[in-house]
Amino acid sequence: MGELSRASLILLGLSLFAPHVARAEENMLRLPQQVLGWKTDGQDKVFTRQTIFDYMDGGGEIYLAYDFQQLLAREYARADAPRIVAETYQMASSRDAYGIFTHDTDGQPVSMGQMALYSAGLLRFWKDRFFVRLQAEDETPEVKAALMTLGHQIASGIPSNGKKPSLLMALPPQGLIESSVHYFHTPVSLNIHYFLDDSNLLNLNSKTEAILAQYHQDRDRPRLLVVRYPRPSDAAAAFEQFGKVYLRQSPAGKAVYRKLEKEQFAGGRREERALLLVFEAGSRESAEKLVDLAASRMKGVTP
Amino acid sequence: MKHHDKNHRVTRRDFLRGTAYATLGLAMGIEGLPRAGKGSAFAAENPLSQVVLVRHEAAVDAGHQVNSVVVAEMLDTAMKTFTGEGDIAKAWQRYFHPQDNVGIKYTRCSWQRIHVNQAVLDAITDRLIASGVPRNRVTANDFGLPVKDCTALINVPTVKVHSLTGIAVSIKNYINFTRIRIFYHHDGSSKLGETWLLPEVKGKTRLIVVDMLRPYFGPGPQINPLHQWDYKGILVGTDPVAIDTVCLSICQKKRNLFKGEEWLITPPPRSLATADSVYHLGTSDPTKIELTRLGWEKEQLI
Repeated sequence: MGELSRASLILLGLSLFAPHVARAEENMLRLPQQVLGWKTDGQDKVFTRQTIFDYMDGGGEIYLAYDFQQLLAREYARADAPRIVAETYQMASSRDAYGIFTHDTDGQPVSMGQMALYSAGLLRFWKDRFFVRLQAEDETPEVKAALMTLGHQIASGIPSNGKKPSLLMALPPQGLIESSVHYFHTPVSLNIHYFLDDSNLLNLNSKTEAILAQYHQDRDRPRLLVVRYPRPSDAAAAFEQFGKVYLRQSPAGKAVYRKLEKEQFAGGRREERALLLVFEAGSRESAEKLVDLAASRMKGVTP
Repeated sequence: MKHHDKNHRVTRRDFLRGTAYATLGLAMGIEGLPRAGKGSAFAAENPLSQVVLVRHEAAVDAGHQVNSVVVAEMLDTAMKTFTGEGDIAKAWQRYFHPQDNVGIKYTRCSWQRIHVNQAVLDAITDRLIASGVPRNRVTANDFGLPVKDCTALINVPTVKVHSLTGIAVSIKNYINFTRIRIFYHHDGSSKLGETWLLPEVKGKTRLIVVDMLRPYFGPGPQINPLHQWDYKGILVGTDPVAIDTVCLSICQKKRNLFKGEEWLITPPPRSLATADSVYHLGTSDPTKIELTRLGWEKEQLI
């Protein structure tokens, strides 16, 4: 069994026996009973870490990878109109609410909560520890208005904003493609956004934090991956493994870069307990420049 | 057989160079890969597997509503072409007999997800009965299909890119025949092919009909409407690996079109590779598959 598999099973085990969900109703958001003619239809459904797979068989792993706590799902119905499902996901931290929001970044930005996207009958936003997802069966002008109204009402019911991951500060702003930023912890997420290997090459786990982002650099679109580990020794071990397995070159010092397939460069450096890696850079110089910029910004990142 | 261990890890570089999952890379259009077989992708002269794709512009309207009459016609065209029979009843009689207990295993998710359209199920059931299988010997279901009692199965999946499996089509459609579904999502879903070899399943699949009317190409697990499109297609075949490989190729091209650059389906669908190399359910080599394309040609993507 590979490391990824073991890590997944450990994650699953933790989810099944997590002790921190006492009562499903605790800390639950209050959802409106009706909005623009749509009324609550049926019983609310509540799902915990133990039961998330009952709601999304084959999809719960993604939420558990972000320290999901509980989900409240409510359906709204109006005669002769598409149904609407409101899902409010409570995460353990605002960082993870932001993280699950960045899982899928395709959509039109709208002003709601701390960040929101709309796409053809689907509205998503995050605020504080909550990720909210409102989806209609179909899109009509009335549906869109209802989704927006419902979204604003829910967002206003969340009293405070939450902090974004401090690791975001490591991303150099110049050339950053904002919609390409993903925040996550585990290899399950990394491999969805950028398949690196099937065995958890970077030793990612629930205690690591990672940011993946893409940049405009002339004709190139390099990707920057920043991973922060609990201890410098964790980062060193992962860097050594990355060099040997992926670059096939042991990182003798703090940095290593190599030309790989398609004439593209990959590599990176370790900075204390962080790894800063670059992929698909057009030249060694541009790869080093991006990594060094991020490394210098890491000094300002709070623990 | 061992599928995966620390010393046999597969990296992105292995995938892109074709030293791992080479046939999948070929299907996904990764340039510069060595061809596993001879010939052009999906145009084998002496194919190991045949797949028929039928598309119709009127199968789905602008409001995403499915036209059941058109769908039934598409299925007839696909079956006649696949079997070479001019008579539709005879085409179905190639695979099913009046004494069969036929189970139609389709994919049903909640409305938020990608489910088989009723028009497809109705067309299959109608043609099956018209060919001579008694109505009381036909059962259609997702969960709870009495597979032990079935003598024949029709695999009727949808098509969706999947955050854990890479792609979910006919091979993954049988995951509900197991009691430990979550197990098959681990290790890159590489053991999904095993579900086809369960004692009550093995050897029963006579036909695969894929509902590719409105497939999904996004990362999932939940649906973003931007990532679903009206492809308006139906595929018919008997080789699940070949069929899934065709769908993989189409979805990869759609992703590239959507982003305007290569947007690889990830994780790589290891279940497809192992279904070929470990479980021997069919071929994932595009050069060994003959794909017959019929009907609407716009953005065929293969």
